[in-house]
Amino acid sequence: MTDTLAEMAPSDPTPGVVAASEVRDRARFEEEALTHAEQLYRIAVRLTGGRQVAEDLVQDTYLRAFRAWRSYRPGTNLAAWLATIMRNANLDELRRQSRRPVQEPLDDDGDYYLYNRLAQASPQPQDEVLARLSGTAIVSALADLPPNFREVVVLVDVGDFTYADAAGILGIPIGTVMSRLYRGRRLLKRALADRAGSEEAV
Amino acid sequence: MSVDPCHGAESMLQPYLDRVLTESDVARIDGHLRECSYCNDRYVFERSLRSVVKECCCDEPVPAGFVERLRRRCSDQA
Repeated sequence: MTDTLAEMAPSDPTPGVVAASEVRDRARFEEEALTHAEQLYRIAVRLTGGRQVAEDLVQDTYLRAFRAWRSYRPGTNLAAWLATIMRNANLDELRRQSRRPVQEPLDDDGDYYLYNRLAQASPQPQDEVLARLSGTAIVSALADLPPNFREVVVLVDVGDFTYADAAGILGIPIGTVMSRLYRGRRLLKRALADRAGSEEAV
Repeated sequence: MSVDPCHGAESMLQPYLDRVLTESDVARIDGHLRECSYCNDRYVFERSLRSVVKECCCDEPVPAGFVERLRRRCSDQA
């Protein structure tokens, strides 16, 4: 079949005949991509809940990114492009371990839930209320969110990605980003309220 | 049916903080927050909560030599 010749052509150029400009382009891409490594690592720690796992995930992400670098369109958001790869790599890893993401938890607390709970315990100015939440309480509350909700909260509230970026990274509609964000934040507040309560009891 | 004295401000607060409301809704919430200390206290709290969550996650130290290891691993594979 002659019409499949193009498809049969090797996707990678034969070693040794790579144009010098291509080598330069690739090197430039790699340097630019590496400037996002620390940001991706911080997101990875929150997505996976472990530092070694996070480092492995970022490494896997860059290996994949460098293999696929030609599909990156210069001038578009490189951090979001890398985050998309990282998210897929993480999903592949979860599938390998066949841990299914938990679906829809129930929640019906209002947006003021955490504030009201904390203020009930002792009527203080807001800053003091917040100061009672330790860093570890926040990190563990975030880690306990169901993965579907955690990844949206991490991308938007920690990674500073827009709704549209997050939708692209996760491959879901913007409306779904918004509803998961909405519920994820509420779940986070409920988890924080529980932790603030138990820290006080200690 | 109970009447919400704050005209739905609670449900607008997150989109307000996300800066995704229309100009007229932003103006409405701005006005409400000036008049209602109940909502304003909670708005200030929500705003600080977000920055506390963000700060504590961004405080995560990147392991020593992380980027260098990454660079080496990637060039080994190239």
